[in-house]
Amino acid sequence: MLEEFRKSAPESLAPRAFNIAQPSETILANGLRLIVFEDKRFPLVSLRLIFLAGDAYDSADAVGLTSSMASMLTEGTENYSSRSLAEEVERLGASLGASSGSDNSRVSASCLTPYLSDMMRLLSEVVLKPTFPQNELDLYKANTIEGLKFQRSQASFLAAEQVSRIIYGEHPYSIASPSAADIERIDREMLAAQHQRTFIPNNAVMVAVGDIETAHMTALVEEYFGEWLGGEKPDRVFPPIPARDRRTLTIVNREGSSQANIVIALPGPRRGDPDFFPVMVMNQVLGAGASSRVFMNLREEKGYTYGAYTKFDMKRLGGEFEATAEVRTSVTGDSLREFFFELARIRDEQVSGDELRDAKNFLTGVFPIRAETQEGLTNLIVQQKVYGLADDYLQTYREMIASVTAEDVLRTARKYIKPETAAIVIVGDAGEILAQARSFAEEIEIFDTEGARLDVADFERAGEPPAVDVTGQWALEIDFQGQKLPVSLSLSQEGPAISGTLSSMLGEGVIENGKIAGSSFNAVAVSEVQGKSLGISISGIVVDGTMKGSITAPIVPEPLLFSGTLSGK
Amino acid sequence: MSLNFQLQPLELHQFDLANGLRVVLNKVDSIPVVSLAVYYDVGSRNERKGRTGFAHLFEHMMFQGSENVPKAAHFQYIMKAGGTMNGTTSSERTNYYETLPANELPLALWLESDRMRSLAVTQENLDNQREAVKEEKRLRYDNQPYGEVFDLINRMIFRNFSNSHSTIGSMEDLDAATVDDVQDFFRTYYAPNNAVMALSGAFEIDEARSLISRYFETIPSQERPAPVDVDEPAEVAETYLEYEDKLAPFPAFLFGWKIPERRSPEFLALYLAGKLLYDGDSSRLYQKLVKGDESVIQLFGFTDERRGPSSIFVGAIPKPDRDLSQIREVIMEEIRDLAINAPTGAEMQKLANQLINDTVRVRQSSMARAQQLAEHALYDGDPALINSELDELLAVTADQIRDAVSKYLDSENRALLDVVTKKSGTN
Repeated sequence: MLEEFRKSAPESLAPRAFNIAQPSETILANGLRLIVFEDKRFPLVSLRLIFLAGDAYDSADAVGLTSSMASMLTEGTENYSSRSLAEEVERLGASLGASSGSDNSRVSASCLTPYLSDMMRLLSEVVLKPTFPQNELDLYKANTIEGLKFQRSQASFLAAEQVSRIIYGEHPYSIASPSAADIERIDREMLAAQHQRTFIPNNAVMVAVGDIETAHMTALVEEYFGEWLGGEKPDRVFPPIPARDRRTLTIVNREGSSQANIVIALPGPRRGDPDFFPVMVMNQVLGAGASSRVFMNLREEKGYTYGAYTKFDMKRLGGEFEATAEVRTSVTGDSLREFFFELARIRDEQVSGDELRDAKNFLTGVFPIRAETQEGLTNLIVQQKVYGLADDYLQTYREMIASVTAEDVLRTARKYIKPETAAIVIVGDAGEILAQARSFAEEIEIFDTEGARLDVADFERAGEPPAVDVTGQWALEIDFQGQKLPVSLSLSQEGPAISGTLSSMLGEGVIENGKIAGSSFNAVAVSEVQGKSLGISISGIVVDGTMKGSITAPIVPEPLLFSGTLSGK
Repeated sequence: MSLNFQLQPLELHQFDLANGLRVVLNKVDSIPVVSLAVYYDVGSRNERKGRTGFAHLFEHMMFQGSENVPKAAHFQYIMKAGGTMNGTTSSERTNYYETLPANELPLALWLESDRMRSLAVTQENLDNQREAVKEEKRLRYDNQPYGEVFDLINRMIFRNFSNSHSTIGSMEDLDAATVDDVQDFFRTYYAPNNAVMALSGAFEIDEARSLISRYFETIPSQERPAPVDVDEPAEVAETYLEYEDKLAPFPAFLFGWKIPERRSPEFLALYLAGKLLYDGDSSRLYQKLVKGDESVIQLFGFTDERRGPSSIFVGAIPKPDRDLSQIREVIMEEIRDLAINAPTGAEMQKLANQLINDTVRVRQSSMARAQQLAEHALYDGDPALINSELDELLAVTADQIRDAVSKYLDSENRALLDVVTKKSGTN
C-alpha cells in the first residue's frame, strides 16, 4: 500500500489565536496594589500576596531573616497553632504557604471558589497576625541547619556559592545561602521586627486569578486587608554589580570528587531589560535545551557529560549568564575548550535560518502550555507585575519572540557573551583541574568546601617533571560499590606517547593515543561492543609503580575509581 | 462547611476504528493546545519468567525510529514544534503522550501512527537500548539509596509472578532478549486493537476524526493476546525482611499490605484511609511523628492501583538513633484507631473537599485529561467514568473506611521491610 502522506512530516493546521485578557488593577487607600484576573474555566482561585523586598534586603548581620520569617508565618498565629492552621486549610481542600527569593517574599493560597472568603481570612491571619512560637522556631532552626550541612556536600551548591560571590561582589545577590551561624542568631524578636517592617501594604502586590468577580474580590481584599496600615518602604541603596575586566579561574577543592562541576559565568541583563526577547532566543540556540549547540557538542558529539546547558538568571537589579556541565575530571580542559568555542561562535557568526526558526518555534509553542493551568497563568501574571514588565507583555510575548532577527541574536550575543572576561568556577579535584584549566585564565584562586582560601602553590605540579615510565603490565582493581573488579592494563611508552591494551568487565580495548604529562596518564581505549565501537577513557596519576585514577565509559553512569600496581615489565 | 458541588461533565466523543483502535475525543477550546495519549495494554504483568523488563525495554525502543521517522527524531520533531512529550511503563500499561500547539495535531498523529505500524526493531536498536536500560537501572535503582525497596516489598506482598516481579526487570533477562523475541512482543502487544488513544484540547471533532482515520486505519490488527492471570491468595508472600542498603544514609522501614483491585469499594475506602494517615501537614502520622515526637525525617505512603490485587504502603525515614519499633507502634496505633473509631466528621469533611479540589485541579491540564480518559478506556472500557468517579469516592462512608482498615490494615497479614545501613566490616 503506497501511502505517500507518511513519507514526511505533515503540514500544520491553521494556527489558532491565543489571547490573554488584561487583568484589572486597583490600588487600595493603604497602598496595596490589587490585580484581578477573571478566569472562569474552573471553579478555582489562586491568590498571591507578594512583598517587593526579598532576601537581598537582609542586612549583613541578619542574613536569612526574610526566608526564616516567611517559613515561620504558617507555624502559628494569634488564632491558630501550626497544627490547627494545617487542619483548617486542609479541611477546605486548599493550600497555603509562604516563601522568599532574592527580590521578593510571597504568601500563596489556592482553593475552590466557594471557600474564597475562608481562604482570605486565613491568608490575612498568617500575613497580619503571626506569633512565631518559640518551640516551632526551635524545630525550624534545627531542621534548617541540618539542611545547610547537606547542602555543602553538593558540588552544585559549592559552585553556585562561588559564582554569586564573584559575579555580584558587594551586592547582596552575592549571598547564595545563610550560614548555620546566621540561622542560629535568629530569634523571635528579630522575626517580629522584620515582619512589622517589611510586611506593609504599600510595598505589596496582591494577584488574584480564578473564578471570581472583580468587584467581589476587591470587596474581600478591602474587608481583610483594608485596615492594614502602611509603613515606610525599605529604601536600601544597593552597591553596584561590578564590571569584569579579565578571565578568572576559581577552583573549589572537593576531595573525592570524581567529576568536575564547571560553571562559566558572566554578568547578564536584569529581568526588565529590553533585550529580554533576543536574549531568550539567543540562549535557546546556544544552550537552553537538549537540541541546543552546547548540548549537541559536549554531550552528543564528544560524550564529555550527560548534560551541558546555558542559562540567564535575571533578577530585578541585575543578572548572570551561566554555561554549566558536570564532566569527568580528565576532560575538564577539553570541555572548557569546547565551551569557549561555542561562546565565540555565537558572537562571531550569525545563526542559521533553521536554528533561529526552531528556537523561536519552541519558545512560542510552549508559552500557551505554560498558561494552561491557573497556577501557570498566575505565575506569568506575577512575573509581569513584580518585575514591572510592559502592560501588554503577556498579550505580545509570542509576537515579540517571533520578531527577533538573526541580527538581534548576534547583537545580544556580542553584548553579553564575553568569553575574555568570564569567571570560570570549577568544583572538584583541585590539583588535576588546575593542571588542565590554568591556561584558560589570567587569575587563579582556590578554596576549600567551607569557603576558606587555599594557597594555589600547594596545588601546582612542580614544573613538568620527567615523564614517569609506565611501560609494563598493570594489575588494577575497580572499586564498584564495595566489589573489587579486576582490570589489566598493558602499556608501552615512547617519550610522552602511550600505546597498549585495556581489559576489564567493559571488554577488551586498544589504546593508540595515550599521553603522559608529569605523573598524569590519560588514554582512550577503543573496544568493539556488540558491533559498536565504544571509547573507554582512563586517567590516572602514577607514583612509584602505583596508579590511581578513574575509568569512564558512555554506558557507565559514574566514573569508576581504580587503584593498582605495576606487576611486571 | 458542606459543599453542594456539581462537577461540570466533560463532553466525550468515542469511536472505534475497523482495526480495533479505541479512540476518545474531548474538545476543550479555551487554550490552543492539544494533548494526545496512546496507552498500550501491556505492562510488566504481561511478562513471563525469563523475559522480565521487556515492556519497559519496549518503551525505549519506541523512540528509536520507524519507517519514516529517523532514529531519535521523535523528540526533535516535538521540541521544534514547541511541544513536550514522554512515555512511561507500569505493571498495567505502557503509555506515550505529547502536548503541542493545537495546529500541530497532524504531527502528533503522524509520529504516533508511524511507530505503531512500522517500529524499527533492529539488532542495533535493541543492543543500544538494552545498554541504555541497564544504565537507567544502575542510575535509578542499584546506585540510589532506597532505590530497590519498592521492588523488594512487591516481592514480599505478591505470590503470583505476574504481580511480584519488577518493571525494570533483570539484567540477565534483558541480555537474553533476541530480536525475534522483541519482534514478537511488538506484533502481539503494539497492535491497534490492543491500544486506546485519547485526545484532549483544541481541535474540531470532524477534522480530528478524519486525521485519525487517515493515519491509523490501515494499520493491521493482530490476534488479541491471552488474558493475564493475576489471581492472588489473601496472604502476603513474606511478612518480614531485613535488607542492607549500602547507599542508605539512615535506616528506614516500609509496611506493605495486599488490598483489593482498583475501583472496588474496599480499594476506594483504603485509598481514603491512606490520605488521612499520610497525606499533608494535617495528616495523622505527620502530626504524630514529624511534629509531635519530632522523630521522623521523612514520612511517606501511597496506594499502587492495579486491575488485579493492589497494594498500599506506609514508610518512614527516622532521625538518627531513634527507636524504630516505637515509631512503627505509633503507626499501628493510628491504624487501629481508624479500625475501631472510624474517621472523625472533620476528617470526612476534609476528604470531601480535597477530593473535589484535586479533581477540578487535575482537569485543568489537557494532558492530565487525556491520560485519565485513556486509563478509563483501557482498564474499564468506559472513559465516561472520568465524569462519575468523584461521586463514587464521595459516596464512601466513614464506616466503610473503618471496616476496610479493620479488615486489611489492622492485621498481621502485611509485609515489613527493614532497611539497615551498611553493616561495618562487610563489603
